Amino acid sequence: MRRLLILTLLTFSAIAAAAAGRHEHQSDDRGVWVEIAQAPASTRSWKNPYEGQPDGIAAGEKLFHQHCADCHGDDARGKHAPNLRSAGVQNATPGELAWLLRNGNMTHRMPPWAGIPEQRRWQIVAFIKSLGVETKSSASNAIPAATNTASR
Amino acid sequence: MHRFRRWVPGFTDETSSSKFRIALLLLGIVAAVLAQPSQAVAQETPYFVAYSHHLEEPGNLEIEAYSIYGTQKGGPDFIAPWIEMEYGVTAWWTTELYIDTQHTFGGPDRTVFTGTRFENRFRPLMHEHWINPVLYVEFENTTDADKTLKEVVGQDTQFDAADPNDEANRSHAHEIETKLILSSDYKGWNFSENFIGEKNLGHEAWEFGYALGVSRPLRLEATPRPCNFCRENVILGAEMYGGLGTVKSFSLSGTSHYVAPIAALQLPNGVTFSFSPGFGLNDNSHTLLLRWGMSYEIAGFGHKLRSLF
Repeated sequence: MRRLLILTLLTFSAIAAAAAGRHEHQSDDRGVWVEIAQAPASTRSWKNPYEGQPDGIAAGEKLFHQHCADCHGDDARGKHAPNLRSAGVQNATPGELAWLLRNGNMTHRMPPWAGIPEQRRWQIVAFIKSLGVETKSSASNAIPAATNTASR
Repeated sequence: MHRFRRWVPGFTDETSSSKFRIALLLLGIVAAVLAQPSQAVAQETPYFVAYSHHLEEPGNLEIEAYSIYGTQKGGPDFIAPWIEMEYGVTAWWTTELYIDTQHTFGGPDRTVFTGTRFENRFRPLMHEHWINPVLYVEFENTTDADKTLKEVVGQDTQFDAADPNDEANRSHAHEIETKLILSSDYKGWNFSENFIGEKNLGHEAWEFGYALGVSRPLRLEATPRPCNFCRENVILGAEMYGGLGTVKSFSLSGTSHYVAPIAALQLPNGVTFSFSPGFGLNDNSHTLLLRWGMSYEIAGFGHKLRSLF
């Protein structure tokens, strides 16, 4: 009985421990986090077919809440995973972000999202880029874009 | 409890109270985690038998309840419900526990617990490729009454399932099942190929099988507004699976094969409903295998669990 109980608690502790972990980011000379900048150079010229399209951004926001918000937070400011409004993300090109979404960053617990269709991944990228870089003043005044568009 | 004791092989009075306390502890932890709101939609494919390379997202727990109804020549039809608990340990490792049961429409010991299976899937490559391999290892502790038919290997035929439950449930099998999963995504389609090798640890020969799957959402783009019953949430597909003989006779002779269309509805609240009628392709196969099920994704289970301690 005691062995079973210890085994059960150890299993749950291992699950909890595996869920932990923080990671410090380093940036390249453009100010893009190196995890994103590892995307092949050719991805920098990829164009997002939904860029600037309100419907595409709204669909991306919906998808963000379904797939990403649990780690990155409802307002994309980060929860268990990085703040997507930070310069290290926002300075990346849409193509680099699309590449990262497809491939993930498995060593840092970001899963690949190749299982959702490419169109939807571009919609998510359109939403993330629409958030813009967060400065200290915009952070204090901000109504999160996520909340803003969700209430439409 | 009496009834449960009768189902479970080896479930005696001595073990009952400790197992009951462990079960209560697990239920309490899961209930505490469930009390915290979560919302996530899995990106997994809707297959019942085949596997794709898409693993459970790290920290997420998916609880799945599935059933299969099968027609049986030379015996009564059966229904075999099973529960799966699938956890994303890391982005490249998913672990899963199955609890199998079975009910046969007639004969002695109609409803039986048929065993457990413990599965692990690993992605050896850290990026997406045209073909993405996944390594699969499972340990099965089941009885011969297990009829979940999660895989068909060797010379498995429908006649193996015709034995009465009281007889079949007395025969235990400890098996290792391995799979090489190859899977590709192209323009919204998923193509999955699984090659299965299964070994009964009781000095029996390796048995082989295959499973193939193809699927696609009805609509690739998402619409701006939340919706439940819209085309983007519906995934259609088909799978085909069967045996490939044993290491001593690697052939299609004496094997059974099935083809099964699949439909799944993925709701934005993390609930997925799946349905699949499977049809036997030769005389060794069950004529009809009807599968259905429901799954629920608990996002951030690991983080919520951590917050409890």
